[in-house]
Amino acid sequence: MSAAHHRPGSPGRRWVIRAPQNFAGGSLLIALAILALSLTQGLPQGTLRSMGPAMLPDWLAVGVGLSGLALVASSFLTDGEPLERWSLRGVIFIMLAIIGFAITIRPFVLGPIAIPGLGLVVAGPLAIIVSGYATNEARLRELVILALSLTPFCMLLFGDLLNLPIPIFPQSLVGLFPADWSQKDVLRATAVIMIVAAAVVFFVGRRKHAQGGVAAQGGSV
Amino acid sequence: MGDFVSNLSLGFGVALSLQNLGLAFLGCLVGTLIGVLPGVGPIATIAMLLPITFGLDPVGALIMLAGIYYGAQYGGSTTAILVNIPGEATSVVTALDGHQMARQGRAGVALGIAAIGSFFAGTVATLVIAALGAPLTKLALVFGSAEYFSLMVMGLVFAVVLARGSILKAIAMILVGVLLSTVGTDLETGRERMTFGLSFLSDGIDFAVLAMGIFGIAEIMRNLESTEARDIVHKAIGRLLPNKDDFKQSYWAVIRGTVIGAILGILPGNGAVLGPFASYTVEKKIAKDPRRFGRGAIEGVAGPESANNAGAQTSFIPLLTLGIPPNAVMALMVGAMTIHGIVPGPQVMTKNPNLFWGMIASMWVGNLMLLVINLPLVGMWVRLLKVPYRLMFPAILMFCAIGIYSINSLPTDVIFIALFGLVGYLLIKFGFEPAPMLLGFVLGKLMEENLRRALIFSRGSLSTFIERPVSAGLLAVAVLLLVLALLPSIRKGRDEVFTE
Amino acid sequence: MKKIVLGLAALGLAVSAAQAQTYPQRPITMIVPFAAGGPTDVIARIVGDHMSRTLGQQIVIENVAGAGGTTGITRAAQSQPDGYTIMMGHMGTHGAAPALYPSLKYDPTKDFAPIGLAAGTPIIIVAKKDFPAKDLKGFVDYMKANGEKVNMAHAGVGSVSHMTGIFFSSVIKTKPTMVTYRGTGPALNDLMANSVDYMTDQIVNVAPQIQGGTIKAFAIATPERSPALPNLPTTKEAGLDGFEVSAWNAVFAPKGTSPEIVKKLNDALVKALDDENTKKRLLDLGGVIPTGAERTPAALQKLVESEVARWTPVLKAAGATAE
Repeated sequence: MSAAHHRPGSPGRRWVIRAPQNFAGGSLLIALAILALSLTQGLPQGTLRSMGPAMLPDWLAVGVGLSGLALVASSFLTDGEPLERWSLRGVIFIMLAIIGFAITIRPFVLGPIAIPGLGLVVAGPLAIIVSGYATNEARLRELVILALSLTPFCMLLFGDLLNLPIPIFPQSLVGLFPADWSQKDVLRATAVIMIVAAAVVFFVGRRKHAQGGVAAQGGSV
Repeated sequence: MGDFVSNLSLGFGVALSLQNLGLAFLGCLVGTLIGVLPGVGPIATIAMLLPITFGLDPVGALIMLAGIYYGAQYGGSTTAILVNIPGEATSVVTALDGHQMARQGRAGVALGIAAIGSFFAGTVATLVIAALGAPLTKLALVFGSAEYFSLMVMGLVFAVVLARGSILKAIAMILVGVLLSTVGTDLETGRERMTFGLSFLSDGIDFAVLAMGIFGIAEIMRNLESTEARDIVHKAIGRLLPNKDDFKQSYWAVIRGTVIGAILGILPGNGAVLGPFASYTVEKKIAKDPRRFGRGAIEGVAGPESANNAGAQTSFIPLLTLGIPPNAVMALMVGAMTIHGIVPGPQVMTKNPNLFWGMIASMWVGNLMLLVINLPLVGMWVRLLKVPYRLMFPAILMFCAIGIYSINSLPTDVIFIALFGLVGYLLIKFGFEPAPMLLGFVLGKLMEENLRRALIFSRGSLSTFIERPVSAGLLAVAVLLLVLALLPSIRKGRDEVFTE
Repeated sequence: MKKIVLGLAALGLAVSAAQAQTYPQRPITMIVPFAAGGPTDVIARIVGDHMSRTLGQQIVIENVAGAGGTTGITRAAQSQPDGYTIMMGHMGTHGAAPALYPSLKYDPTKDFAPIGLAAGTPIIIVAKKDFPAKDLKGFVDYMKANGEKVNMAHAGVGSVSHMTGIFFSSVIKTKPTMVTYRGTGPALNDLMANSVDYMTDQIVNVAPQIQGGTIKAFAIATPERSPALPNLPTTKEAGLDGFEVSAWNAVFAPKGTSPEIVKKLNDALVKALDDENTKKRLLDLGGVIPTGAERTPAALQKLVESEVARWTPVLKAAGATAE
């Protein structure tokens, strides 16, 4: 950001980055090229007659690297865009939400961490609520209602109507329902419970709203 | 000529029965409704809906499948326009200007012109198939590996023209795209390349995962930064349907797109994927003011969408007459047909004329259904944009996660959309455009395969690309286009040097 | 947190143990280790459709594609042996995989409870229409005389056409130039365009083209002729010994699945194979329906053992690995 001050006409210094965005972009390309070249080390290049697995990737990496060098060079020669402001909150929460979904949807094992498959019934609301906090306008009550209504919609659509083999709930949940209930019955019952819960949160919150008046505006938790 | 009429009337006799009309309608409707969910692309949609056709007779099942196919395609375009998430390669282009139109409150116009352009393209393509289907098959066989390689090179030049900003950055992005396409097990030798030893990378990166991350998730991350950009529509939502001026602006684009898409769709090696890109390139090149492109130019939606649909249609030619599926969606259709006991091949047309011509007629019916279903739905889709963004993006995000998971049942795919989202966000921050990279990625695999194959056939001699006339012609066009694209910026570059 | 996790897991185990008697109580997932639409997927859907009716619970097909089918089979092998996850394996995943993938995470002969053979799909030797030979003998002579001038098409390392092509070369002792395609479709296209010389592939993929006269077929690599192509001689009839091969598909469950469940699944499979409609659909595809003795779990176990023993030396000698 400070580079922005060096924009047109700080003629006194010769080697000043005049286009920070291009400089950063070029550096990124060079890094990528080096990474690719190091990854294909040890793979045969082959000949034109029978190209090896590394030939094309290597040449491409060289091309990417040269483009990067050209960008970096140009960033010293011509003026260009400054770097934009970064916002980490959005990025972090979005990443967390997606990764959270991925590791809870089915049994996940990574070294010492083992998470049993919790299915859509957990992964869905988790993704919605965590990602909701990517903005500072997040309101927990709204997100809970959204999660409790959208998740059963997806459960009924994908699990019941379309019969997709997507895990819906942890196997142990079936034990909580009468033994002669089929998988589908449990699915439907769970969906209904969630929708009812969403409605309850909606109406209860609303009454509080009415009582609390303006409090709603500050409702972001 | 007599054949043409009698074949078509045989076909319409089959397609227009009440039951089959109903099936086409139903297929289109569910295809659209599922396909419109962000993150659920056409392949996922068709795979999900395949089982519902099992109970039907073969002809009915295929007609319904064709309906689902068109519905899924159009549903994918709708998502690309509304929330900037292309579900497959061909809707990447639609997203460029379509989403900009949506942001300007012209989502209805974009969706409308897409539906109408598609219908026109579909009608023309149906007639082309009926009239020329059999002879056109021969064209498909002219294209060998050398020709495909040259065609892909030409396609990559399109990507340079496609870009809005710096040409150097566009070229870099294309190279990165091709580089990414080489990740995974090498087809020829079976060696793993750039996989970090991770087993889930051994089959390479999935297009849907890359596109969703780079476009969809990165877009969400960027939107969250500033409150002004946050709500997709910050202007009043205007007209729901295109008016006279819109038509005037776009009818030539529709016609050109149809021709381009129809020709490229006939090529069995997934030539259809180039259609929208080629159409966009042409429109941008001949426009009076090319700067409008990428900022909501209606021709940038009308042309590519027509090309897309014409190509989707004519790509049935290699499937039905040669039995060769040109792309993943068509491969799925072949599977669906074999499940119903029909193995597509050179004999379907003579052995099973009812089915063959019925299916071709039902393509047109399917296009008509699309129009009937989607024009009324436009209002509903557009209204969805009014949902506050703080609620919209968590919902989009969950659908994306479910959609990606449903393709291969791999949680790692889901994690990768997050990683590519981050990459896409970085690219935006550094002023790179993602579209050329995606095109490079799509064409990269085909390019490498065909290059290597052509060189095996020629036993290592590069002159094979110039000695074969079709290949040489394509390369010449590519060079010409590249020079045309580079000239202005070279001149401008010199101007800038002079003014300093 | 850890306690809850353990508790949930224990609960899950207890429930599945109790359910062994009343199996099946919920839908069964059949993992198909290839993308939807391929030959294995089609066979799984046809057989699974009828098995669902016998078992009274739906068999849901889950396509887990990747690494020549080993990704899906690895996952299926590691799932709970409760009968609710089964898989459709084939010649590649349960025969050639140990040779092709040195770091394979399962052993086809030890890590599974075989259910039964579903269908065999014969391999056919096909060539471009203009190929200068009129029968298998002429073809083999031409191949031997021209060595690496002949171009063999195959659909990628680990594909059926790749493995059987290598096997064929090793039987007739020649070394053609191998040309790789992504899938059978593009390979067939070049075959029809006369730009590649020959390949060996499953009948499902090539029968329509042979019937349409756009490509030439020399022989079918089975002991008996196929009703789908009655005029095509077998390799033995055409004078070639030692090239009999079929891309079989078979149902497996993870190791440790209780014998009662295996029996129930095998019964359902046998019933499906006896059903006229299912049989017809499989035969239309050129499939070979296994006979009574071939349908038992024990016969499948034997088949897997003999296939691993057959493919390992052939592929190792050709230097074919996928890692």
